[in-house]
Amino acid sequence: MAMTMDELTVGQKASVGTITAPKQLKRRLMDMGFTKGVDIEVVKMAPMGDPMEVTLRGYNLCLRKAEARAIELR
Amino acid sequence: MQTISLIGNPNCGKTTLFNSLTGTTAYVGNWPGVTVEKKEGAWNGFKVLDLPGIYSLSPYSPEEKLSRRYILDERPDLIIDVIDATNLERSLYLTTQLSELGRPVLIVLNMQDLLEKEGITIDQKRLSLMTGCPVVSISASKGIGLEVFKAEVEKALAENKAPACPLFSNYVEKYINELVAHDYLHTIPKGRLPRWAAIKLLEEDELFLTTMPPFPESFAAYLAKAQASLRAHYDDDVEAIIIDQRYKVAEHISRACQVKKEQKRSFNLDTIATSRFGAIPLFIAIMGGVFYLSIGLVGGITTGWLERIFGMLGENLTILLDALGVVPILSGILVGGIIAGVGSVLTFVPQLFVLFLLLSILEDCGYMARIAFILDRLMRTIGLSGKSIIPLVIGTGCTVPAIMSTRTIEHQKQRELTILVTPFIPCGAKMPIFALMITYFFPGQWYIAPLIYLIGIVAIIFTGFIVRAFDKHKEKNVFILELPRYQLPQMRNVWLQTRERTMGFVRKAGTVILLSSVVIYLLSSFSFALQPVDPDASMLAMLGRVIAPVFKPLGFGFWQATVALLTGIAAKESIVSTLSVTMGDAGITSLFNASSALAYMTFILLSSPCIASISAMAKELGSKGKLLFALVWQTGIAYLAALLVRVVVLLIL
Repeated sequence: MAMTMDELTVGQKASVGTITAPKQLKRRLMDMGFTKGVDIEVVKMAPMGDPMEVTLRGYNLCLRKAEARAIELR
Repeated sequence: MQTISLIGNPNCGKTTLFNSLTGTTAYVGNWPGVTVEKKEGAWNGFKVLDLPGIYSLSPYSPEEKLSRRYILDERPDLIIDVIDATNLERSLYLTTQLSELGRPVLIVLNMQDLLEKEGITIDQKRLSLMTGCPVVSISASKGIGLEVFKAEVEKALAENKAPACPLFSNYVEKYINELVAHDYLHTIPKGRLPRWAAIKLLEEDELFLTTMPPFPESFAAYLAKAQASLRAHYDDDVEAIIIDQRYKVAEHISRACQVKKEQKRSFNLDTIATSRFGAIPLFIAIMGGVFYLSIGLVGGITTGWLERIFGMLGENLTILLDALGVVPILSGILVGGIIAGVGSVLTFVPQLFVLFLLLSILEDCGYMARIAFILDRLMRTIGLSGKSIIPLVIGTGCTVPAIMSTRTIEHQKQRELTILVTPFIPCGAKMPIFALMITYFFPGQWYIAPLIYLIGIVAIIFTGFIVRAFDKHKEKNVFILELPRYQLPQMRNVWLQTRERTMGFVRKAGTVILLSSVVIYLLSSFSFALQPVDPDASMLAMLGRVIAPVFKPLGFGFWQATVALLTGIAAKESIVSTLSVTMGDAGITSLFNASSALAYMTFILLSSPCIASISAMAKELGSKGKLLFALVWQTGIAYLAALLVRVVVLLIL
């Protein structure tokens, strides 16, 4: 099993692999720039531990861990 | 008249550009059939249309579908692709999709004033060469480059040339070209480029497929083969392959045209604003400050002051009308109906204006997105999302703009739930009745006002749990939100939004409330025989007496209280004036007591909102059934909660 993005901790960097999500969510995540090989870094967790904030392609995005679980890393 | 359409990612400064171009000519409406805002204006003899802020042209979200359909079917003369220059790569992803639609595209690099600060330089000529689009660099917020922009728009319109489509890797191109050459591609609707159609066919874009005749067998077989071969080669589905290819194009262009100097990370407000321990106290402090400034400080000064002015106006007008010999019924309608009714609403305008102003500033500077981020986890436990917090906050001012602001919530079910619970937050118009009751029955008891909010919040939580429990599909909703860079609020944007929201409230005073004030005045001054009578023999009193027994268990089963509730449907502010007209101050203290007063406040807090909010709910829910459910639910909860409150108070006292 590949590691997924929700397992990262603050400050960790990684490279995106496959996205395993239903069609619509997959499209949404890819539209936001999560394509194969793109570098991401976890910036912060929200005060209650979820959602998480990541930077990719030079901008900051927040998403829930449930969605981050769909993003496999390599 | 030629039409130019602005399109771009959210937070790219598109609204600032639109506002500075169109100024006072801007008109906000709705796209037919969907609750997506349509903004139009005039500039230099062109019609300017502001399309919704989007990241992509996928066939899934209403905003994206609409933008795509608009460009393809309405064929604007020029597409203005507004790009946040500090966010080039992701912005170019949308550009790769726009340039396939067969319309001329002008790229506007916005926020050029920030480039230097971020250590970025962009080779504009090269960008233009690589995208095939003219490029102009501006700063909409500083008003820099608008002259050049104007010249470029005119030039692009005169040339009327669509850009070359971005090219993908050879392997993908091979199949696109083969498809384009196929006979079936001649059946594509007019105005669509064959290349675009070929890509959509490969992607199996549902929206596009519905516009096409069924595939002939040979074509279906060929398409399936092409897709299978692509899938095997890239080990992904075709839609994902195309997105990946587009981002590769965007990366390639961005790398070739942009030089980025590594910046030292400067101090960021988020160090505090979204920090583990500081975020929530800061949020509470900011909201406290907002309410203190608007409702406490400004409201405290202006409300009493305006009440006196309208009171004086009424008295003097009565004297004047009497002197002129105007018939009493007419002067009654004017003074007792219109001035009293509309006046009571207008006394809220200054504090609402300040509230909306402060909230617009929070939205424009980027803080609202942080609120959604820090509170999402909390909101999720009750089936809402972080984005629901914005309507709830605006709802403390007025429910109407609050319901309109639910449009930022992309998930439909969640949006409907937010609309259902937003009225549970007491709006500004409910304050006077709470103030009145607290003065009479709970003097000096500070905890009553917070208790009211708490009851509202409990009702929201309860509704959330119930709706979630009955949601069979347990649809997973998503929360994906860009945290935009903090920026100084653009005074023009803030002003326009504040004006829009405040005017919405004032318009309501001039229409619905004006009319209902007159009707209520007439009903409370005449009997069914149309004779002028005392209030307690009036038509309104009769009506009230019929309904009043329903409220007996709640402790306010007398007609005056019922009638006040009825007038509250027109505007919650009218409740106070109706009570004082029908029973006088003495009546209030003799008919109500502590338990029924608290029950009455609870009922008013939760029962269906005023007519203006109901119509906003109708518009946003888009279905009579859903509206009816919402109203029944709200009133049902109100009744039960009021009953519960009364029983509890009776048990304690």
